[in-house]
Amino acid sequence: MGCRLSALGCREPQLASIASTPDSRHPRAKTMSALLQYEQPEPVAQKALIQLDEISKTYDSGENAVQALRGVDVAIEKGEFVAIIGPSGSGKSTLMHILGCLDTPTTGKYWLDGEDVAEMSARALARVRNQKIGFVFQTFNLLPRASILKNVELPLLYAGVGREERRDAAFKALQRVGLEKRAKHRPNELSGGQRQRVAIARALVNNPSLILADEPTGNLDQKTGSDIINIFEELAAHDETIVLVTHDPAIAARTQRRITLVDGEIVNE
Amino acid sequence: MILFESILDGIRDIKDHFGRTMLQLVGIILGAGSIVATFSLSVAGKTASMEYYRVSGGIQKIWVSNKPTGKVTLDAKALASKGLTYHDALVLKRDAKEIDLVSPVANENMTLRYRDIEKPRSIMGVTPAYSPMNDFHAGQGRFITDNDLATAARVVVLGTERAQEFFGSDDPIGKTLSINGTGYLVVGIMEEKYFSFDHKRNVMRWMNRQIYIPFTTFVTRKGDTLAQGKVSFMHVRMKDVKRNQEAVDEIKGILKREHGTKDFDVFSRVANLKRNEQNNQMYDMTFMICGIISLLVGGIVVMNIQLASFNERVREVGTRKAVGASPAQIFFQFLSETVLVSVVGGLLGIVVGKFFCDGIAALTRDPAAITVGTAVYALVFAAGTGLVFGMYPAMRASRLNPIEALRAE
Repeated sequence: MGCRLSALGCREPQLASIASTPDSRHPRAKTMSALLQYEQPEPVAQKALIQLDEISKTYDSGENAVQALRGVDVAIEKGEFVAIIGPSGSGKSTLMHILGCLDTPTTGKYWLDGEDVAEMSARALARVRNQKIGFVFQTFNLLPRASILKNVELPLLYAGVGREERRDAAFKALQRVGLEKRAKHRPNELSGGQRQRVAIARALVNNPSLILADEPTGNLDQKTGSDIINIFEELAAHDETIVLVTHDPAIAARTQRRITLVDGEIVNE
Repeated sequence: MILFESILDGIRDIKDHFGRTMLQLVGIILGAGSIVATFSLSVAGKTASMEYYRVSGGIQKIWVSNKPTGKVTLDAKALASKGLTYHDALVLKRDAKEIDLVSPVANENMTLRYRDIEKPRSIMGVTPAYSPMNDFHAGQGRFITDNDLATAARVVVLGTERAQEFFGSDDPIGKTLSINGTGYLVVGIMEEKYFSFDHKRNVMRWMNRQIYIPFTTFVTRKGDTLAQGKVSFMHVRMKDVKRNQEAVDEIKGILKREHGTKDFDVFSRVANLKRNEQNNQMYDMTFMICGIISLLVGGIVVMNIQLASFNERVREVGTRKAVGASPAQIFFQFLSETVLVSVVGGLLGIVVGKFFCDGIAALTRDPAAITVGTAVYALVFAAGTGLVFGMYPAMRASRLNPIEALRAE
């Protein structure tokens, strides 16, 4: 808050004590408390783990301004397993990019785990992604020439974690998805489903607040895709917060909650 | 810590893309090698020249020789002048203050004979000053002495090749050598003079072929008086190299006064040296610029290949950013790759540069030696090139928009 009344020679702690007893004998009490109320921020309602307020995203190309999202409000609590579903062009990719701090909204606020990330710098966003978000992509996006163990270590590397610690954490993450026996193998030696499991391990390794999956079964066959969703269900049961973007209603049906996007707006919940 | 890990990342990446790395290396290796070769050559060339000058009498040596005046009709003075004489040498010794040694020399072809070996050879009449003037001393026996000069003694000192030629393996000292029919006592053999730029040809060999008798003997043998004795040329030594111009002017002045005309030439090495230095500097500079350009080309190669590879790895950069790599971390990863390649290339380039040097030395007989300084230069230049030319691709990678990157094929 900072003491804006420093000109009067006040110090914050004194102010607080004065103001907290409105009918104190201190001569300045009444004036102080009135001014203090002015200074205090609006009372904060308890925010959800993920809270998007009036998020809009406009891609500006002059005359061809495209409004990908219009005034979207989303609140997701810890432990929820949510699907964002919508047709192509509905803005679900844009919404996912914003949720994942890969992009910033044109207007609106985004509270992620207590932080307002809507207006952060690129470097700050990188830190948030590193510590609070785990990505699972449709195309897996593993580093092809590193072992899967090193792949899973990647977020920890950027977090500055030491070598031993990294290896242990990565190994544990691989255990969670049942691939610890193939830790030294490279991604091209694994099947699609296995690669996606490595990606999930990587998403988990940094204990994120949110796991974001973008069409995670898009490149997998029916059976394997179903297995992957099983893993997500299991993670959700262990109190992980998961947001899954898909166009497939069958996949969406397996989540606890569905948010439908059409033309940049939420149509139903 | 993060920086160190980024560097390790870079190392691993280079191992993974070894082919690409080799290409980058080639550019740097050639560049660094060129720098090593060119710098070494310029340094070595200078050292060898200085050494040669020292060995042949130092840069304080001035040559004084006869020279036609160039005038079509000679005036009375020119006609009267006899050219350089022993008298001039005495006058210079007496009057010139900038010099400390005068060595007049007269030479002529005569017939030499020992036992049944008879050959025409060039004989030089010299004074004792000849020895210190040319840093050339008797190896066996002695050189011409003041006494020999004073008494016009019939003594002779031989260069090693001549001794070998006439006496073979016999000891020449004490024996009599016939010069134009007159017997001369051999009193000394000179030391062997050797200097080579390329360790093959001895450029001082001509000195080992000389034959010396006292100047006075040389002159009076023909019936001339000493003062009239004609001098083929003179060596004069200046006291202070810095006062080169004053010395030369002084000599010129005295001789002009004595001769009445300018029928002589005074030549000092120092002026020549300065002129050579300027030429050499230009030569060196051109050479070095070539080396540096070579390295710049190497740097451009590195940069281009880095850019090409980065285009291939766009997806990968996107992934790294998605899991939280900051722009700075991406920047360092890519930059450390180029710097690493450049440093390795620099080290290899030093080895290649050594081969370049040896090759050029063999062809041009110019000596070339690699010093620690040159190697350090090459390495620093190479690393610097990697740093500078790696910046642009590293910046581009760090500024990549992760969303677009992830969309790329």
